[in-house]
Amino acid sequence: MKILTRIKNILVPLSFGVVFLLLWEGAVRVFDLKPYFLAAPSKIFEQFTKNTSRIWDATSVSGTNALVGLIIGTILGIAMSFVLSRFSFLNQLITPLAISLNAIPIFVLVAVLNNMYSITSEIPRRFMVTLVVYFIVLVNVAKGLTQVRSTHVELMHSYAASDIEILRKVRVPNAVPYLFTALKVAAPASVITAFVSEYFGGLQNGLGSRITSNIANSKNAAAWAYVLGACLLGLAFYTVSIILEKITRKGETK
Amino acid sequence: MKFARRAAYRTAMFVVSIFSVVAIWELYKIIGPQDGGKFFGVSVLPRANNTAMPHISTMLSRYSRPEVRGSDKKIWVVVLSGAWFSLRLSLVGFFLGTTIGVGLAILMARFKIVQRGLLPYLVMSQTVPLIALAPLVVSWGGKLEIGSFVWPRWLSASILGTFLAFFPIAVGTLRGLSSAPAAAVELMESYAASWKQTLFKLRFPAAVPFMVPAFKLGASGAVVGVVVAEISTGLKGGIGRLIIEYAREATGDPAKVFTAVFGAAALGLIMAGFVAISDVFFMRNRPKESSI
Amino acid sequence: MSAVEVIGASKIFNQGKTQQVDALVDVNLTVDQGEFVSLIGPSGCGKSTLLRLIANLLEPTGGSLMVNNKTVSQARLDQDYGMAFQQAGLFDWRTVSKNIELPLELKGWDKEKRSARAAEMLELVKLPEFADLYPWQLSGGMQQRIAIARALAAHPPLLLMDEPFGALDEMTREYMQGELLRICGETATTVVFVTHSIPEAVYLSNRVVVMSPRPGRITSVIDVDLGAKRNEDTRAADGFFRNITAVREALRGTQADHASANAIRGLEDR
Ligand SMILES: Nc1ncnc2c1ncn2[C@@H]1O[C@H](COP(=O)(O)OP(=O)(O)OP(=O)(O)O)[C@@H](O)[C@H]1O
Ligand SMILES: [Mg+2]
Repeated sequence: MKILTRIKNILVPLSFGVVFLLLWEGAVRVFDLKPYFLAAPSKIFEQFTKNTSRIWDATSVSGTNALVGLIIGTILGIAMSFVLSRFSFLNQLITPLAISLNAIPIFVLVAVLNNMYSITSEIPRRFMVTLVVYFIVLVNVAKGLTQVRSTHVELMHSYAASDIEILRKVRVPNAVPYLFTALKVAAPASVITAFVSEYFGGLQNGLGSRITSNIANSKNAAAWAYVLGACLLGLAFYTVSIILEKITRKGETK
Repeated sequence: MKFARRAAYRTAMFVVSIFSVVAIWELYKIIGPQDGGKFFGVSVLPRANNTAMPHISTMLSRYSRPEVRGSDKKIWVVVLSGAWFSLRLSLVGFFLGTTIGVGLAILMARFKIVQRGLLPYLVMSQTVPLIALAPLVVSWGGKLEIGSFVWPRWLSASILGTFLAFFPIAVGTLRGLSSAPAAAVELMESYAASWKQTLFKLRFPAAVPFMVPAFKLGASGAVVGVVVAEISTGLKGGIGRLIIEYAREATGDPAKVFTAVFGAAALGLIMAGFVAISDVFFMRNRPKESSI
Repeated sequence: MSAVEVIGASKIFNQGKTQQVDALVDVNLTVDQGEFVSLIGPSGCGKSTLLRLIANLLEPTGGSLMVNNKTVSQARLDQDYGMAFQQAGLFDWRTVSKNIELPLELKGWDKEKRSARAAEMLELVKLPEFADLYPWQLSGGMQQRIAIARALAAHPPLLLMDEPFGALDEMTREYMQGELLRICGETATTVVFVTHSIPEAVYLSNRVVVMSPRPGRITSVIDVDLGAKRNEDTRAADGFFRNITAVREALRGTQADHASANAIRGLEDR
């Protein structure tokens, strides 16, 4: 019974995906679509296998930028959220700012950061990823640390627990799921930011630059192959964040 | 009354926080190293000199001067019209995204098989950088002809906005449509109501609290898509192009790029403002707790 | 013509699977026009299931059901009944009068007729001044009265109610019982009423149907001999307590196991 629904949950999406690819391939062939409009999946795959090592190089450049920013941004975000949970005035000051940053295409700051560092460095890109991740983590973890159930806090007060103990026994455990929610958003966002940053000029060695340069040379199937690499990178980051969440969850239930 | 006071307090805090950012910027200019700082051979500290980090006052006063020397066009006019151009593209993208997203959500709510087949891809698509498609889609401009209709370049930018807008909208709306309580669905059934009647009288109104945050994400997605399309391909007329152009002039005229960056920020805030206003409108008669 | 006719109806959930539940087995029940019938019994004995079968929200696995000499599905399409649940289930986004108009809208009534009827129903439940408020601005008892007004808006000859007063406090509850009897008397509505409360069942009903679980079935039907007119004095009358005892005795027989015995004792303590 359970196995059956599980198979269904895999088979149905799988067949949707296959049908989609077939339709795509078919449309390109039947209507003889020009490659600049839509490249055939078979061509894209061919390019992907042919250029695997180059795509891997580009992916590792963008991936490293994303990873460095993700780690630093997460650490800073967590640290700051502890500060915010301690001083509610600061919290009220920063939270609206962080929320309104959500509505802004904040990555345009790369244009400014490129001037603040030397143009041939990866630092501005990593800085940008850090900034994006920092605010996502900050808002969520601060929420987890402050929005605890008042009955729990009262219970701890009745044990005459100190603030540090309340932090360790109530606030931190409450904030853990919030952290992973944040990471699930921040991980793909870090990849996106990393290679959107490349559109602003500077070093031409990452996925974003490769995609633009291939299109400029009308090698669209190759560009699609790099897009495929970008998608795999995003998926990898997301998957890792989910696995991390699963591991901590398991620890909880034991 | 209480509500008004809280709103005033929040606004005040927001202003204070903006001023704190300004203060930190100026403070860094005083104490930071003029030519950047290195730790273990890696330059982590940004340069604090006036070329890399102009004074805030320089940025603001730049608005009242002409775009290029000798031109009589003030830069604020240029930035404003660039933002206005991008805003229109974003709105087109947003409305297309809303149409597609809500349509897909209805389809998924109606047919379980569609939901089963499509939803994993929608969730997955949130995690992959669809924005990588930007240069590809923009390259359609001027080349693609459908009958007598020649695909304009700006439409590509809007389509990219649509790409980024419709996923959150579809997922949020679907969640909302399925949020109608079972008892209410049963009530509609007892009235022998058709699926369409249930959709419009029950499911959509019940979905509003879920749709508003989804639309917020969608609106900022539309802006991001449009600006990225403009930047990655140098599409003329919008704020993205201005940022790229002005960034190139940064050594001679460092404050200039900031005028365009603030324009992009204003663009995002205006789009968010539209959604916030519709939020207030649609939720005006709802119980106050349920405004998620 | 009887208002409701249940002939040998059964309902088995998940038939043939490991989680099979015999919710109802061979249930026979006839409710006459204008009659007030209560269904009572321990939790899980199939009261709600029987009501849903009558409402055609569930299909029986055996037997047949008729409402006003029609099949139940036809009766549902013709809107021959109104329904009310434990939760008032009003729509937050509609004003009180728009909530009452909902079933009329679905039947395609025009605007004037609808608002006239809504005003009439608000008069009936004695809340005319609340027409333009929203449900969440009303107390629980008021909301439940609006839900009843909504159920009666199309003037259905039959009203099906599933623990409609279950979420109300004792005072409001007794008041609502009086109101329900008044309203149904004025509109000559037949009622099938699910409840957990013995005094409530006795006070309201012409007949109390006692059910028992595993499998769900009717074990006895008690005629309440309190006459047609009921008022607050009824609650203190000797006959009232005699009938309560009769129902209680009948319920004792349904104690299938210790758990449900406790459930019933809990109810008696009210
Ligand atoms: N949709 C369903 N699927 C499977 N089993 C069900 C379903 N609905 C009800 N049942 C089962 O049928 C039996 C009767 O349920 P029903 O809701 O009619 O009881 P009830 O008498 O109304 O109980 P209560 O007094 O608690 O409301 C229960 O054992 C219940 O678990
Ligand atoms: Mg029930």
